[in-house]
Amino acid sequence: MSIVELPLTVFVVDDELPARNRIKELLIDCAAQLPLEIVGEAGSGHEALEKLSTVHADVVLADIRMPQMDGIELAQHLNKLPQPPVIIFTTAFDAYAIKAFELHAIDYLLKPIRLGRLFDALSRARSAIPLRSEELQELTPEPRKNLSIHERGKIHLIPIDDVLYLRAELKYVTVRTAKREYLIEEPLSMLEKEFALRFVRIHRNCLVAKNEIEGFKKVTDEEGGEAHWTVKLKGLDETLPISRRQQFIVKEIG
Amino acid sequence: MPKTQIINQNTLPDALPNFRSLGVIMRVVLLANGMALLVALILATSWPDIAQRVLNISALLQPVLLSNLLLLYAAHPLLTRWSYWQGAAAVLLSVGVITLAIYHLGGELYVPLTGYEYFYPWRDALLGMAAAAMLLVYFSLRAHALSPALHAARLQALQARIRPHFLFNSINAVLGILRADPKRAETALEDMADLFRMAMSHSGDLVPILKEVALARQYLALEQLRLGERLKVNWHTEDMPDNALVPPLMVQPLLENAVYHGIEPLIEGGTIDIRLYRSGKEMHLEMYNPRQEKASQHAGNRIALANIRERLALQFDVEARYTVETGKNFYRVHIMLPYVQESF
Repeated sequence: MSIVELPLTVFVVDDELPARNRIKELLIDCAAQLPLEIVGEAGSGHEALEKLSTVHADVVLADIRMPQMDGIELAQHLNKLPQPPVIIFTTAFDAYAIKAFELHAIDYLLKPIRLGRLFDALSRARSAIPLRSEELQELTPEPRKNLSIHERGKIHLIPIDDVLYLRAELKYVTVRTAKREYLIEEPLSMLEKEFALRFVRIHRNCLVAKNEIEGFKKVTDEEGGEAHWTVKLKGLDETLPISRRQQFIVKEIG
Repeated sequence: MPKTQIINQNTLPDALPNFRSLGVIMRVVLLANGMALLVALILATSWPDIAQRVLNISALLQPVLLSNLLLLYAAHPLLTRWSYWQGAAAVLLSVGVITLAIYHLGGELYVPLTGYEYFYPWRDALLGMAAAAMLLVYFSLRAHALSPALHAARLQALQARIRPHFLFNSINAVLGILRADPKRAETALEDMADLFRMAMSHSGDLVPILKEVALARQYLALEQLRLGERLKVNWHTEDMPDNALVPPLMVQPLLENAVYHGIEPLIEGGTIDIRLYRSGKEMHLEMYNPRQEKASQHAGNRIALANIRERLALQFDVEARYTVETGKNFYRVHIMLPYVQESF
C-alpha cells in the first residue's frame, strides 16, 4: 500500500510581474513530473506575509532585492509561522547574497531561472530543513526593517522605527512602541547587534532608541540609597533606570 | 610593411592644443607667468627686488602673451588644417614676430630697459619662442598621458554601464513575456541589442543628441517592462537644440542610476524628471529623481558618477561642470557642457 503524496504547494514572491510570470510558467512545466500547486503570489514582502497567514505553502520562492522588505527579511518573518515554509531565494545578481548562500550551503536560484535547476530545488524541498533565524541574519549586512510576532494565526509586523525600547524579561523581550507592548522570543544580545544603529544599551536588560531619548534625570531611592540616572523617552510617561556601568552614555548622548 | 598599417588606432597623432579651449588658455597664462616668476627669482638680489623684476618682465610678457593668444584663437581653424610640425612652426614664428613687433610699437615704453638696443628685442624674441616650444612639448606630453586614461575610463565606463543587475533582470523579463507576448519580447531584445552595441562601441566621438535621447528611451522601455507602472519618466526636451553633439552614453547611465537607486527601492515607484536645454553657449542636462529616505549608500552610485565626471573632464577639460544635490528624499544632477553643433 502506498501513501498518496499531496501536491507540493508553492508560493511566488517577486516585485516584478514578468519575473513572477516566468516562474509560474516554469512551475507549470515542472508540474508534469512533480505534483505541485501554485497557491498564490505576491508583489511585496508585506503582501506575501498577509497572504501566507491564511494559505499554507510548503515552498516559497522569494526574490532577494525587493522594495520595503527584501527576501531575506521576509524569510525571517515567515520563520515565525507554526509550519514555516522552505524558502528558495531567487536573484538576478547580488554578489553579497550569493557569497553568503555559498558559505552557508543554502539553495538559491539565479535568474533567468533554468527549468532543470528549479525542478531539482523543488525535489529537494520536501526533505529540506527550514533555515534558522540566526543563519538568515548572517546572509545580509542590513538589519531588518520590522520585528515580527505570531499572534492568533497572523504575523504582526512592528516597524523597527516605531520601537522605543526593548527590555528582556525572563524568557521574552518586551517590545515597547508608543501605542502598546509586544513580546518576542529573540535574545536581547542578538537584537543589540543587529540594530546597533538605532538602540543603545542602558542596562543589562534594556536597550533604548537613541533618537527617542527626551532627557536624563538623576533620582534618589526612597530608602535613601545611592542616586542613579534614569532616562525619559519621548511619548512615554515611565522612566527607565540606567545601570552604573552604562552611566557614561549620559555624557555621550545627553 | 607601410608605416600607416602599424599605427595603432588607440594612439593619438600629435596635435596642437585647442587654442579655443578655456583650459588650454588658462594653462598657457599660468605656466608663462610661472616661468616669469622663476626668472625673476633667479635674477633678484633681495625680496623687494623680486616684485620689481616680475613687474619689469610683465611689462613685456603680458602684451606678448595676450596678443599671441588672441592671434592663435583667431587662427585656430587654419592651424587645425596644417600638419603638427607646420602648426608648431607657425606658433613659434608668431611668438617671435609679435615680441619684435611689440618692442617696435611700444617704442618709448621699452627704451629705458634697453641698453643695447639690438640685443634685447632679439633676446626676448628667442626666449619667448623657447618658452612657447616648452609649452608645446608640455601639451603634447599631456595629450599622450591622457590618451590611455581616456581608454581606461571608457573601459571602466563600460563596466559601470552594463550593470549585471540590469542585464540579467532584463533577460529574465523578456523570458517572462516571451510566451504571452512574443511581439513585445522581440522589440525588447532589439532594444537590448542597440543598447549593448552602443555600450560596446569603442568610439569616444561626440554623438548627435537625438541619438542619445533615442537610446535612453530604448533603455527606459526595457526598464518599463520590468517595473511597469512604478516607473514614470517626464522628458522636457522643448528647448533642446536638435543639432547638438554630446559625449556618447551620457544620459543612459544617469537614468540607470536613477532607476536602480531611486525607483526600484520605492514600492509605489516614482517619476524621473529629465530636462535637456541650451542656454547661450552651454548645453544643460538636469535630472531629478525621488529616493528612499535613509537609503543605504551603494558604492555603485559613486562609481557611475565619478565615471561620467571623468569622461566630461577628459573631453571638455574645465568647460564642463557637474553638480549633485542629495536631498532627504530626492536626488538631482546638473551637467553643463559646451554647446557643440553638428557640422554638415
